[in-house]
Amino acid sequence: MSNEHHHAAEGEYIPETYIPHPETHGTKTLWRVFFILLFITVIDFAIYFIAPAGLSRNIVFIALGLVKAVLIVGIFMHLNYEAKFLRWMIALPAAVFISYLAWLLLLEGSFVSTY
Amino acid sequence: MSNSATVSSKTWAGGRSPFSVSYGKLMMWVFLLSDAFTFSSLLVGYGAIRFSYSGSSTPWPDPSAIFNHFPFAHGYYLPLLFVSLMTFILIFSSVTMVLAVEAGHRKSKAEVSKYMIYTIIGGAAFLGCQAWEWSQFIHEGGRLDTNNFGITAQGYEHLKEAGKFGNHFEWMAGDRQPGPVPFASLFFIVTGFHGFHVLSGVVINIIIWLNVIYGTYERRGHYEMVEKVGLYWHFVDLVWVFVFTFYYLI
Repeated sequence: MSNEHHHAAEGEYIPETYIPHPETHGTKTLWRVFFILLFITVIDFAIYFIAPAGLSRNIVFIALGLVKAVLIVGIFMHLNYEAKFLRWMIALPAAVFISYLAWLLLLEGSFVSTY
Repeated sequence: MSNSATVSSKTWAGGRSPFSVSYGKLMMWVFLLSDAFTFSSLLVGYGAIRFSYSGSSTPWPDPSAIFNHFPFAHGYYLPLLFVSLMTFILIFSSVTMVLAVEAGHRKSKAEVSKYMIYTIIGGAAFLGCQAWEWSQFIHEGGRLDTNNFGITAQGYEHLKEAGKFGNHFEWMAGDRQPGPVPFASLFFIVTGFHGFHVLSGVVINIIIWLNVIYGTYERRGHYEMVEKVGLYWHFVDLVWVFVFTFYYLI
């Protein structure tokens, strides 16, 4: 995965001539992730009709959504296999700022009234 | 410099990207991160507005009680079924996209082309489904600034009795009242913004597919463009996971 191929002068980084050397991880994991995603969606569907509406059901839905998100980002978007620096650069700001935003909503939401 | 030989090759020593990816791929990730903030703001805003209606005389309606239609099954109560189908279509187009990326790693032009066609068909099918759902909602009176999709106490009672999955169900007089306007506006804004991403994804996919066909990437020596558009496409799927969760399930 190094970009030490240079068609230009030594040490010069030119995006147009950059040649990646991707490794294939096969298709087995990809199909497995597809079936897990499908299964979780079916579980979502079932829970909606079985469990009564309420906070605990919502927490289950959000947790299952996060599992799907981790699978899509990690395997389909290949982030699990990227350099550690890149993984953190993407995952950390997203996790910190989005949970901060959600926390603000939970904190302030009950004071807001639009009706 | 004398001890540079002892430094492991995994340690970044300058001269190359510390992320070990090309500039274009890195920038795609940065763009997607910013887009994730956009969508999370929309969904958190949706949550805040919906939350503010608790205890209101015009309560927020149960979204799945509103979106209970399925094509060719008019009058039947089938909540969540159509969006689940849309979710399935998007997950399927996501797996064909990642298979195209994998085929690109093996430089198999024919397979990349085949899987990209499947992905484009999946995206177009999803857009078709969304168009159908929008037209249903608009036909029944949903607008950006008006919403007659409130459900009265009597309506919920009626739903509890007759609204079994797969049953024949029609709203009666007095079941519905004008509901919260943001319910309709946010439906159009959130699913519309996501749908616009899908539309752009389909267009970009078609452009990249044409390049695959013309052999642009074969000449270039790598199929990294397929990977970049793949990242975008999976992101669209990722956003749908949360739209599905927060708009339809909760």
